[in-house]
Amino acid sequence: MNAWIGLKAVYDKEMLTYFRSPIAYFVIAVFLLGTGYFFTYNIFLTGVGTMDQTLQNMGILLITLSPVLTMRLFSAEYNGRTMELLMTLPLRTWQVVLGKYLGAVSMLLLMTAASCINLIPLYLYGNPQTLNILAGYIGFILLGMACISIGQFFSALTENQIVAALITIPTLLGFWFVGHLQSLQSSLLLRDLLAHLSFALHYADFIHGLLRSEAIVYFLVVAAIALTLNNSYLQWRR
Amino acid sequence: MIDIEHVTKRYGSKTILHDISFNVNKGEIVGFLGPNGAGKTTTMRMIAGFTAATSGMVRVAGFDMANENQLAAEHIGYLPEQPPLYDVLDVTDYLTFVARAKRIPAAQRPSQLDRVIHACRLESVTRKEIYKLSKGFRQRVGLAQALLGNPDVLLLDEPTAGLDPGQIQETREVIREVGKDHAVLLSTHILPEVTLICQRVAIINHGRILATGSPQGLQRAAEETSSVLLEASGDPEQLKRALSDTDGVTAVNLRPVASRAGLYSIDCQVDAQEQVESRIARAVITCGELFRLERQQPTLENVFLRYIGHTNEHSSGASA
Repeated sequence: MNAWIGLKAVYDKEMLTYFRSPIAYFVIAVFLLGTGYFFTYNIFLTGVGTMDQTLQNMGILLITLSPVLTMRLFSAEYNGRTMELLMTLPLRTWQVVLGKYLGAVSMLLLMTAASCINLIPLYLYGNPQTLNILAGYIGFILLGMACISIGQFFSALTENQIVAALITIPTLLGFWFVGHLQSLQSSLLLRDLLAHLSFALHYADFIHGLLRSEAIVYFLVVAAIALTLNNSYLQWRR
Repeated sequence: MIDIEHVTKRYGSKTILHDISFNVNKGEIVGFLGPNGAGKTTTMRMIAGFTAATSGMVRVAGFDMANENQLAAEHIGYLPEQPPLYDVLDVTDYLTFVARAKRIPAAQRPSQLDRVIHACRLESVTRKEIYKLSKGFRQRVGLAQALLGNPDVLLLDEPTAGLDPGQIQETREVIREVGKDHAVLLSTHILPEVTLICQRVAIINHGRILATGSPQGLQRAAEETSSVLLEASGDPEQLKRALSDTDGVTAVNLRPVASRAGLYSIDCQVDAQEQVESRIARAVITCGELFRLERQQPTLENVFLRYIGHTNEHSSGASA
């Protein structure tokens, strides 16, 4: 119960901060513009009433945009000297880490919910497969949760927000594209490993309407590892 | 409430604190005095649990800061050198966040908030975003945050830095008030601050505690190391002799003023005796004209030297 109070305090502080600074609005606006564009482009170009291609594009958009959301998480605390407060209040580091993470995930959920506006014309004029779309969105959120945890960890490493974003983007892109290295390998073992590491390949399962436990667990494990590293790093810094 | 024993802090190969020891008791305001860069902030951060000591023991409210800092945190109110504020939040939201993080029950929060807002005179800005506040208000919001939850130990790192004289006065009142039933450690590089509100003083320089003792002793050392600066005309040799013979003057340093021929700028080191200024003035008039005379505030470094000289005399006297 006590643990929950501290976590909730950090979470609420994060949510207040998001909506009193322009970054959240900026990220949501760019994301909606992007998804709106991809949606219109894909539907009218192919004339096929599915979300497959749009969800694929949304994944890439998320990878480039989520670092903007996460770059300030710890960097701004270092920069504003507020880390000294967070670390000396009767809060445990995991409460700070998790409170911030859940705040960012809430923003992700908000973005995702807002992007559902695209589904209205799809349902009005097409005959989409609801379960496929649902699986795709679940995959999108899991992908986002992994991206945010990585971005948050990198944000804890530097007091410069730009640097935090600049190391997060290539890392996420690396995770996204690592599956493509498969075709360059002849070793089966290596090909397997690369496939297992890939954001894009796991995400593709969801887009195709598959809820594979391996894919679900994969994204959750990535998030758990990044958050644990985040927590340990903050403790070590003392 | 605060016990520091043989604490050393190193960053890489650089040693910031060399084997420091001191303590602060309940109901006591201890001044932590030292020039900038002496290690005050590092010490404060260590007591607050923001950084860990390389070796030695830091105990706050009975908890070992090395591994029980979470438990100790509930007893500590900490105002860092730069007040840790969230610029986009307004004052009430910010203080509410801190109150919740300090696990003040929801029922007590409004009264606690009112108490610190009143104590720090923030009534007029409760709904203002922090980035819009002046430096004085920011400092006081930081102080209000530290006072929330009525912690047993209050750590204030340069609490009056950047305030104007009126605000300094008010802040000192607040500190004096909380000092009655709390343990307060207050760092500063301003000498009068210590003599005005502290019961005890710990002097730190270059990462070492030089002395701990009463502010009165420090006050005396300060008076004894002060100097009187004057401008006078006349025969330099005569002036120098007259001043050296004056009761209370310990050293005379005379040099010509470049911009005006025949005028000399004279620096007299004086000890604590009263009315030394008028005796100096009389001495000058016997052999020349007096143009300007003023008492100079001593530098911290000089006061330290003097003060430590005293304490050493005392301790050697006591042992003999």
